[in-house]
Order: sequence, then C-alpha cells, then structure tokens
Amino acid sequence: MLKKIAIDQFSELVKALMDRGPLYAPVKGKEGVDFQMIQDPADVTLDFYNTVLSPKFVFFPQSEDYIRYRIIQGSPEAQPVPLESRPAVILGVRPCDVRSFEIMDRHFLGAGVIDPYWKAKRDSTTVIGFAFDVTQPADPADFYNTFGYGAADPEGSDIFMIRTGKDLLFKGMTDRGKKLLDSLGCLQKGDDRDEKTFEETVEKGKTVRTRSAEIDDRVIAKKLVSIFDNGEFWQKVSMACIACGVCTYVCPTCYCFDISDETLFREGSRKRFWDACMFTDFTLEASGHNPRPRIFQRYRQKVCHKYTYHVDKYGCISCVGCGRCIRSCPVNIDIFGIVVEAGKL
Amino acid sequence: MENPYIPMPMNVVKITTEVDTNDIKTFRLTFVNKADEDKFKYLPGQFGELSIYGKGESPIGIASSPTEPGYVEFTVQRTGILVGGIVTTALHDLEEGAQIGLRGPLGNSWPIDFLEGKNVVVVGGGFAFTTLRSLINYMIHPENRKRFGDITVVYGARTPGLLLYKDEMAAWQKRKDMVMHVTVDKGDANWKGREGFVPTVCKEVAPSSKNAVTVICGPPIMIKFTLPVFFDLGFSKENILTSLEMRMKCGIGKCGRCNVGYKYVCKDGPVFSLAQLEELPRDY
Repeated sequence: MLKKIAIDQFSELVKALMDRGPLYAPVKGKEGVDFQMIQDPADVTLDFYNTVLSPKFVFFPQSEDYIRYRIIQGSPEAQPVPLESRPAVILGVRPCDVRSFEIMDRHFLGAGVIDPYWKAKRDSTTVIGFAFDVTQPADPADFYNTFGYGAADPEGSDIFMIRTGKDLLFKGMTDRGKKLLDSLGCLQKGDDRDEKTFEETVEKGKTVRTRSAEIDDRVIAKKLVSIFDNGEFWQKVSMACIACGVCTYVCPTCYCFDISDETLFREGSRKRFWDACMFTDFTLEASGHNPRPRIFQRYRQKVCHKYTYHVDKYGCISCVGCGRCIRSCPVNIDIFGIVVEAGKL
Repeated sequence: MENPYIPMPMNVVKITTEVDTNDIKTFRLTFVNKADEDKFKYLPGQFGELSIYGKGESPIGIASSPTEPGYVEFTVQRTGILVGGIVTTALHDLEEGAQIGLRGPLGNSWPIDFLEGKNVVVVGGGFAFTTLRSLINYMIHPENRKRFGDITVVYGARTPGLLLYKDEMAAWQKRKDMVMHVTVDKGDANWKGREGFVPTVCKEVAPSSKNAVTVICGPPIMIKFTLPVFFDLGFSKENILTSLEMRMKCGIGKCGRCNVGYKYVCKDGPVFSLAQLEELPRDY
C-alpha cells in the first residue's frame, strides 16, 4: 500500500517522526548537505544530490563511548555505557548508500562476534531510502551501476521514498517500514496513479547511467591479489596520494576503528572512533616494525580490502560506487579507474 | 547479549621481574568475579587485552597454561616511549594488589589436536617465549604428557640475564621426559651453558622431522635463519607453526587493523602454519 504527502506538508511528517525518537535527515551546511539528528523540522532539506559524509555514522558514530570511568586510588569505578536502542529513523538515504548497510552488516553481524553497538542501532532504526532525481544525469564520480544498482532501487530500504512534482510517495518494503507508515496519521493513501508513478520511477531509475564496468567479484578479487607484488602499478596509481585518509572517512563501507581512553581531570571514557588504513601509524607495532610504511602499500591495502579481502571473507565487494571518495579526494584519485585498470593487467 | 568490548576486572596478585634489564615482568592475575573465572576457558597460544582505565588496552599473549587453575599470567615488556608504550609502562608501574581489566581469551591457539601424537620441537627466541611457555607447561602436565611424543625445546636469548622463566627452565632441564637446549648469544662469567644463535643450535640439535611439528616464535631475524634449518631437516610447511604479530585494537576481528590479506591476525590467528602464511600476501 502506497502512502503520500504533499511536499508543502513535509514538515508535518518530519514532526511526526521526531515525536517517535531520533530522526536523522539531510541538512544543508557550509560544506554541503549531510545527515544530522534533527532538532528543528525546518532544517531538513530534500534538495541535494548526495551527502558529503556517508550515513554510516548513524549506526557507527565517528566516536562512541563504551565505558565511562573515574580514576580513584586503588580500584577504578567504571560503568559500561548502555546501548543506544531508541527507535530511530534515518530519512533520505540514496539507494547505493542503503546497500552499504547490508555490506557493513556482513562484517559487524555476520561473522564471528556480533558487534553489540552496530546491532542495537541497526535493530532499532528504520531506513527510509530516497530515489535520486531520475530526470537528471548522475554525478560523474558515481559508478553504482557497476554493482547493478539503479538510481531508484527500493531494495534494502524499510520504506522507499520518491519525489514527484508535488508529492512524496512512500512504499513500505519491510514489515517494520509498513508498520511505521501505518502509524503516521499525516500521510494519505496513494491511488492507482501514484502506484504507477512509483513503478515508472523505479524503472526510469534503471536508465540513469553512471560510469560502469564489468567487474565480477571473484574475478577482480583474484586479479588484485595476483598483482599484489606489482609495486610499479601500485606506486603509479597512488603517486599523488598524500595519505590524508578522507576517502575512508566519507566512505559508507569503511569500518576500521581505533580504541582509546580519553581522560580529563580523572574522569574519562574508553571509546572507539574512526581510523584509517591510509595513516602511517595504523599498523605501527610497539617494536617499531611497520608492515606498511609507504603510501602505496597503504593504498594497495585500501583497494585490496574493498575488492579482494571483503570478497574472500564476506562474499561481496565492499564498495557501492557512491563516488564520495572521488569527489572528496584532494588529488583526484579515482578508485573506479584504478580497479578497471587493474582488471586489464 | 555478551558485550565483547567490556573488560573483566582482575586482581594483580603477583608481579615477577623476569630479566636483569627490568623491562619484562610477569603479572599473575586472579578473577574478581567467580562467574568470569568459570567462563574463561583458554588454550596455549591465545591472548588477552590487558587494560588500565585512563591508559588503554594492549594485546598480550597468555603465558600461563590452562593446567594452572585459579589464575592467568601475562609476561609484558615495557615498550619504548617513542612508539607508544603507555599501557605497558602503566602496567610496569603497578604494585601487587592493583586492579586491572582483561578481555579474552582471544584468537586461535596452538593447534593442540594437530600436535597430539606427534613429536613437538619448540623453538623460541628472547621475549617471544611466553605462549611457548604456556604450550610446554600444557604438554608436560601429568594428565597431558602421554598425548604428545618427544618434546624438544631450543630457547635462546641475547644474554643470560635476558632469559625468561629461569626457575622453571631449570626444573625443565632436570626432567627426563623432555630435552632442553638453552643458549645465549654471548655468555658472561657465570654462564656455564651453551653459546650460539638459535638457528645454529637447531642445526646442531638436528631434531628429526619424522612425525614432528615445530613451533617457532622469535624476532623476524631469528625466524628468517631458522626456517631453512627446518626445511633441510625435512619439515614440511604444514608442520612449521608460528604466531604472527600485527598491531591490534579490538582483538575480535572488527576494528580492521591487523589484517594480512583477508585474515585477521587477532581472530583467524595469531597462530598460522607456514603453508597458510604463504597463501597470504606478504603484508606483515
């Protein structure tokens, strides 16, 4: 059952969602549009191509406390921080980014130990996906077609949202999504014409072309590992890299983190925060040995992690072709071009 | 659901300074909570994350053996201030009676099932003897000794003062059911034992590769020169085991730091056979 709301009534929906719990939605800032926890319904914007940062922080914040402690002579006082499990909503996630959540699930939930922090927030958060504007061309950096995603694919979202001329259409894709839609009194029922518009938009989304290449998960995984020792190639493709790590920070599927204690005046917290394999001390051992002291070795690690190791470990490439790392790179390194190039070797 | 990031509180009941340079100490820990103790089941070769609030966590191999109930021991080197060492320095500053945190046991272990019924040659160099000590104590425990064939140990350090576990070593040398070869690069006036590098001693001792596995831990340079000796003796790559070192944080395969290829050393390792290592990219 399709639901809809007139665009000029959108803030009613935002208010209703905020009443339920934390709402994350796109907000215009100085550097571009990014997801934020909404305080004022007027802040939400739907006029954006994609966010600068990925929405991963909703489930995997840049910094997250595990334990808060007080240092007292003798025995320290320490309390685990309760898991965040309020029913949250993230609204406005582009189809390729929705897929990134599934890729991250394989790592945090699918193998070995289950990560309780990721799980608690994933379990309690409803994802409202949002179709790209299918009347406009894709950004030149994007390459999500490579992975078979369209500009308006609803798969993976709990609710999928499409913007038409004057309405927003919502389709419940999962039980959780349908339940949420049913509970929102501000929404109207869609009619047959809306159903048709929705389906047509999904289809039209498949014709929006991003850069694309035939990249088979298993084939590229083998290929990259076979050229692991081709230092000339890796040095050539990473020559401009300044190891700033921004590619990993904006990436929706980079999950590496550091754990550290931060103390101020005898009180503090043990926390995890984003780290990056592009940083020189990422693998620096206490002995002084560093397996990846050079930039090309770290860049090779980044590409191989996404296109080989993730395939070998979890069965899929950990890249969704969102184009963020390319748009944000200060020296215009293009992972898509590099992977295509590697495939030809 | 169990939260794998939250440490168990542990009491530091005994601190032993192991070496004459004072930078390696063994910490004996007991569990504050009985429930934690009951759950803590480990095998030789595994490690734990030791932590001190306000300083952080460090992954350290377990030096005690599961055949020693009631406590867990970790031998810790205080590392340099230029490349970290905050946690190990804080540990070294502790006094008996302090409380610290422990997460674990983590990682795989020396493959006990695989070692069973075989002759085991244990080769260690310097400080990298801690989980080998765990393995030896496990194998020579009266309940376990029959499960293994001949046990040969080659252990070396730069100087006599840098040898770990001296009392235990002396007791092992007296045993009839294992052969010990302790060596130092250079002896001192009181040293009556062997002098020579570990690879040379291995060559002299020449353990048979028949139905045998060797377990090697030590600095990279020692491993580099010891491996050819064992190849010459006929040991296959499947029967040469080692424990890998990589920088770690979470210890449970989540933080993405310690990968070699698609393996996480903290979860899929730290123990690998040479055959397994050769299938991975040389990124360690």
